[in-house]
Amino acid sequence: MKKFNKAMSAALVLGMTAASMPCTAAFAEEADKITISITGGGEDSMQLNTATSGFLNGLSACRHLYEGLYKLDANGEVVLGQAASVETSEDMMTWTFTLRDDITWSDGQPVTAGDFVYGFDNLAAQGGDYSTLISDVVESYEATDDKTLVLHLSNPCGYLPSVLAFPSTYPVRKEMVEEFGDAYATDPEKALYNGPYAMTSWDHEAEVVMELRDDYYDADSISVGTINWMLTTEESTALASFESGDIMYSDMCPDEEAPRMEGNGLFYVPGNNNYCVMFNLGDKGNEVLKDQKVREALSLTIDRDRIIAIRDLNDEMGKTLACSGYVNADGVDFTDYADPWLDVTDYEGNCEKAKALLAEAGYENGEGFPALTYIVNNDSRKEIAEAIVNDWKEVLGIDGITVEKVENFSAARRAGDYDIAYYGWYMDYTDLSNMFGTFVNTADSNSFYQSDDYDAAYTAAISTADQAEQWEHYKECEAILAKDLPVSVILHSMSSYLFDDVTYDGLVYSCGNFVFTYITEK
Amino acid sequence: MQTLRYIMKRVLLAAVSLFAIITITFFLMNLMPGDPFMSEKASEENRAILIAKYGLDQPVYVQYGKYLENLVHGDMGTSYVLQKGRAVRDIITESFTVSMTLGIKALIVAVIVGIVLGCISGLMKDRLPDGIIRVITSLGISMPGYVIASTLMLVLAVNLGVLPVSYKKPGGSIMPIITLAAYPTCYLARLTRASILEVMNQDYLRTERAKGMSEFVVVFVHALKNSLIPVITYLGPLTASILTGGFVAESVFNVPGLGRYFVSSISSRDYTMIMGVTIFYSALIVLMNLVCDILYKIVDPRIKLD
Repeated sequence: MKKFNKAMSAALVLGMTAASMPCTAAFAEEADKITISITGGGEDSMQLNTATSGFLNGLSACRHLYEGLYKLDANGEVVLGQAASVETSEDMMTWTFTLRDDITWSDGQPVTAGDFVYGFDNLAAQGGDYSTLISDVVESYEATDDKTLVLHLSNPCGYLPSVLAFPSTYPVRKEMVEEFGDAYATDPEKALYNGPYAMTSWDHEAEVVMELRDDYYDADSISVGTINWMLTTEESTALASFESGDIMYSDMCPDEEAPRMEGNGLFYVPGNNNYCVMFNLGDKGNEVLKDQKVREALSLTIDRDRIIAIRDLNDEMGKTLACSGYVNADGVDFTDYADPWLDVTDYEGNCEKAKALLAEAGYENGEGFPALTYIVNNDSRKEIAEAIVNDWKEVLGIDGITVEKVENFSAARRAGDYDIAYYGWYMDYTDLSNMFGTFVNTADSNSFYQSDDYDAAYTAAISTADQAEQWEHYKECEAILAKDLPVSVILHSMSSYLFDDVTYDGLVYSCGNFVFTYITEK
Repeated sequence: MQTLRYIMKRVLLAAVSLFAIITITFFLMNLMPGDPFMSEKASEENRAILIAKYGLDQPVYVQYGKYLENLVHGDMGTSYVLQKGRAVRDIITESFTVSMTLGIKALIVAVIVGIVLGCISGLMKDRLPDGIIRVITSLGISMPGYVIASTLMLVLAVNLGVLPVSYKKPGGSIMPIITLAAYPTCYLARLTRASILEVMNQDYLRTERAKGMSEFVVVFVHALKNSLIPVITYLGPLTASILTGGFVAESVFNVPGLGRYFVSSISSRDYTMIMGVTIFYSALIVLMNLVCDILYKIVDPRIKLD
């Protein structure tokens, strides 16, 4: 009987194994190229239409399939990509790009300046998250011939290379967009590629496979021949795949597993973001929050040390809107260059000052303070919001603030249906303009804050190519926000990812974008 | 003839049910706050462009009329969010094929293992095998699928390394099948046990034994056949749900099936996907219930189909 049971078990396992074998086509691989498997999110974020893609995973994938005038090099620096050279006018208002002679699409056709012009037009027409990326800084553009592209700027813009290295600004083949419409770039054959890789298969919800293009101008110096891009939504699955050796990179690791994985493949890098409390200064927000003294009192009372300890994710203390990592020619970090919004080392002193400010506003010991709603969009942010509300109750005596996790957080915040809300911004490219631009003319979203002084300082900052002058203007932006307090900055979180650095080298990680083109085996 | 008339009547009733489901779902969906184009990075102008592009700025009854018109022509629209730009019909066809393949395997495992365990348990009532099976099935029913999936993954994939995490790799469907089959196997075992116990005390079995029939024939031909009626009742909705996949098994093991869309389409406000998967799932449930009713008739000819 026992033997029978064993035989049955073996047969069952063998049968199930055989039944589960998928039929897969074999791809020929060049002997000197390597194959890597990675994951960066699920199918919904794998959007490969550069005009509409808004998720980091899809944007990172686009960096492999397409290429702009600029690209990220092996050090994560912005360098010329499809452009061979660029000339700028003295006033920095006109940029003339000459394209490389050896750039082609995956169907063998040459990439032309007209493809860039169509890409810019298409970006503006599609209504994607980044549809104004070009029009924000470029007044007009033209292809004077197949190899020459001229951009006329509305203001001098020192960070233009960062913008032009961003996937939304990449060239597009007009006939493909016109033929496939909404379905453009939703399957391998529904797009053409001018980047180092071409997509060869897309098993929806499961995997995207990219193969190195032989006719890419820099193909010889690239070691990675095939990228298997797994589409995973569960953090625990991504971690299990990493630990079992199925994948060599993942930007997903469950928070609770982070301590165990530190030193075992988990890396932390500056997250280029901020984590704030936002006050509604619009019509629907409670009147009490329109009083700057109240906002300052609330901001001063937040125990940032304790919140960072609760999160336990190596966060950086929030003392300015911008996070660290931006250094000037003298080696000074911007967070040290700008004046801090508050003295984060003196919490007790801040609390005393806050009590006095609240009393001046007419709410001594929290008496008469109205009931407010503080909305967040997930459980971990709710936990932090409750800790903050507890600080306000303990220190200021305010006990009428209710924290609510709402399903349609973005819509609620956009509509102004809140008094206080979570706010965070993750930068798209490594230039300070991307952080400070979020509070320019924000009547529709960010706190309903509007300041002509702030807008003027920001415009002055992006209009100069001189870093010293630019930083002075950004410093002024920080000072205006610190005074007006549409938000209170709490912290800057770190980004983390899993990478098999024992076997591989050469991962490029920049502002949440990951590039595998330069990976090599150790 | 009577059966044919019954089937025709049920098909008509099914069409009315589906129409009601489509109507209710469409209007309820539009009552949900938010829209598919909510994004922290998108400006209000861009959102307006997209809303106008997909006709979501029209009155709801106009949108409903257009949707019905397209549906009649087999057009379920394109996904707004989850697989932006792809036809919903293609997405459902592809993902259902995966879910169905996996689901059929899980269903076979559940039916065979569940009924066998149920029979053993029922026939050996209050003895050791019965006790063991009851403990295992109680655990299987009460344990959430996420726990089963995570435990399997941790033990078999990470610690022992005998099976891959990814569904795409050889042997990758074993753990999803076990996860999908766990609950129905245990439920079927308990259902079969209870049914067997009830049937075994029936007079007609005593008569058969008195007539000298062997115990094997009594149990496996007469008792088992009659005890399967409640099992068949459960098999209808089970087949529909297991064939359309499971959210947990598909999410954890990265299976590109239909199951995950039932949750993700709603949370992302992917209107066309919500409608597509709801219509598909409803049609499948209606169909499976009809098949079950006909199976009743085959198993027990005394049952009248009306």
